[in-house]
Amino acid sequence: MQRQMINILTRRLGTAQQMRPLSVTAQRREIFKVQSAEDFDKKVKNSQQPVVVDFFATWCNPCKLLTPRIENVVGEQKGSIKLAKVDIDEHSELALDYDVAAVPVLVVMQNGKEVQRMVGLQDEDKIRAWVAAAVKQTKQ
Amino acid sequence: MSLLKVLRATDLIRSHSALRWCRHTGSFPRYDYDLVVLGGGSAGLACAKEAVDCGARVLCFDYVKPTPVGTKWGIGGTCVNVGCIPKKLMHQASLLGEAVHEAVAYGWNVDDRNLRPDWRKLVRSVQNHIKSVNWVTRVDLRDKKVEYVNSMGAFVDSHTIMYYPKPGQEGDRRQVTAKYVVVAVGGRPRYPDIPGAMELGITSDDIFSYEREPGRTLVVGAGYVGLECACFLKGLGYDPTVMVRSIVLRGFDRQMSELLAAMMSERGVSFLNTTVPSSVERQSDGRLLVRYLNTTTQTVGSDVFDTVLWAIGRRGLIDDLNLGAAGVKTLNDKIVVDASEATNVPHIFAVGDIIHGRPELTPVAILSGRLLARRLFAGSTQRMDYADVATTVFTPLEYSCVGMSEESAIELHGADNIEVFHGYYKPTEFFIPQKSVRHCYLKAVAEMAGDQRILGLHYIGPVAGEVIQGFAAALKSGLTVKTLLNTVGIHPTTAEEFTRLSITKRSGRDPTPASCCS
Repeated sequence: MQRQMINILTRRLGTAQQMRPLSVTAQRREIFKVQSAEDFDKKVKNSQQPVVVDFFATWCNPCKLLTPRIENVVGEQKGSIKLAKVDIDEHSELALDYDVAAVPVLVVMQNGKEVQRMVGLQDEDKIRAWVAAAVKQTKQ
Repeated sequence: MSLLKVLRATDLIRSHSALRWCRHTGSFPRYDYDLVVLGGGSAGLACAKEAVDCGARVLCFDYVKPTPVGTKWGIGGTCVNVGCIPKKLMHQASLLGEAVHEAVAYGWNVDDRNLRPDWRKLVRSVQNHIKSVNWVTRVDLRDKKVEYVNSMGAFVDSHTIMYYPKPGQEGDRRQVTAKYVVVAVGGRPRYPDIPGAMELGITSDDIFSYEREPGRTLVVGAGYVGLECACFLKGLGYDPTVMVRSIVLRGFDRQMSELLAAMMSERGVSFLNTTVPSSVERQSDGRLLVRYLNTTTQTVGSDVFDTVLWAIGRRGLIDDLNLGAAGVKTLNDKIVVDASEATNVPHIFAVGDIIHGRPELTPVAILSGRLLARRLFAGSTQRMDYADVATTVFTPLEYSCVGMSEESAIELHGADNIEVFHGYYKPTEFFIPQKSVRHCYLKAVAEMAGDQRILGLHYIGPVAGEVIQGFAAALKSGLTVKTLLNTVGIHPTTAEEFTRLSITKRSGRDPTPASCCS
């Protein structure tokens, strides 16, 4: 439905003036904050695609720096990998189940299992390389 | 047969574990846990973790009832959340404000004229740190395999604790049985029984996460909580007044306490001495009108404040435990224990702030909790030594002491058998910014005879806690004046002044030094 509307709009705009590309990144579906244990099961463990889980805390400054970086990198992957954000205070049992001690922690999950994890803040290039490697590995 | 009759009479028959016991008379009753700890603070957690290390199965309950204004916090107890830790951080914040001014004298090009604190940023930073400690505590409990339930436990009988896993949902009630129970529920601040106290006043439970700037604050109470709060508020640029019912720092050395109060006055903290509050009401402009009575002059007065902070003492949290069901004796609002922290019920113990007549300090709680766990599960016989516990009051010039006060020593040994060495001193760093040295003072209280065993050390000055800590170990090892004066000092420090003590009170000589290095 959204796609049809975009197509209509772009065609209208295109006739009126020079074609301006309108991109609708499905960010709402790719990047989300986990609301409950059931939400985690449904959207992470049972996800068809691999998911990067960002375990963060509101009181953690490196987490505040990491989240926009991982959001960027996941956005660049254009849907081949999703991002689930977990507030460890809201979902303490879940975080403890995944052995989260220090934060931030990024965990790549596929088919309900952990593939790899990265602990601590890294610069965006390192994160990009790490995510790319994860996507590649999960495609195999 | 008569046993069953007794059990029926006492209602124990309803308890699941008792039923099992009756059916299998002769076999030893099995409990759900070796140890249930009530309270996840300094004492409770130390005891729980040590018990697991000794091989016990442990369950720990922790729950925080919100304050009247709604403040809550996570696991870790008073020290981590609303005590030592945030207190020290705010103390540090106020010292740093002072340091900026001193920096100017040392040549730094800072504009210290309109220095204002960002209270919300300070609170946010302090709270972020506290929350990180809450998390580390949870991870630690998990790693150490201590089971943790975030709810209040209450006694059903001496071996059975009941709780609501989801507080507020009274339909879901659970029970656990334990071979041993350790009560470590600590205490909370008291409120005075006057109009407006709970609705309009806050306590130390609230100040460290207070969303509003405190402004002009009335601190009611002159124990170390009240004095420390007043001092960091002063250092942050607010205008505190301390209301003192009778004396400052009850229980501490009198001379040192008066000197500390004088130091605070010199720094601009106002005192309302021998005064008690009568009521608090909110004015139309939102500020608080406090009426009070000066008990010496018997005159009434009133004043307007932005914040009223009660620091009149703390009460033990025995009310929600249903101790009667377990038969545990209490005194006032505390639990009575013997020298092995046992209550009158042999398998029920208590540690930390909840016990009657012991110092309410985190390190005391931690060590006594650990030693208790070792006695219960590792065959240890070592008991907690509550004597000669060092402590510090974190005012801007701090006061730290270990051992006896001068008056206690005189009372115990007689004035003729006591020698007090004392002196004022001038920290080297104070000269350049011309900081007041008027209250930099220390004294050693010692026996008169022989090598003169030291009974107490008292120090007012910078980083007092750091200064006294090592001396606490020395005192415990039997430090004498002879050894002290033969110890070479580290120079230039303030701690070395202990090795330079030479003037006795008895001599009547002026304890004010002319200069250093001689």
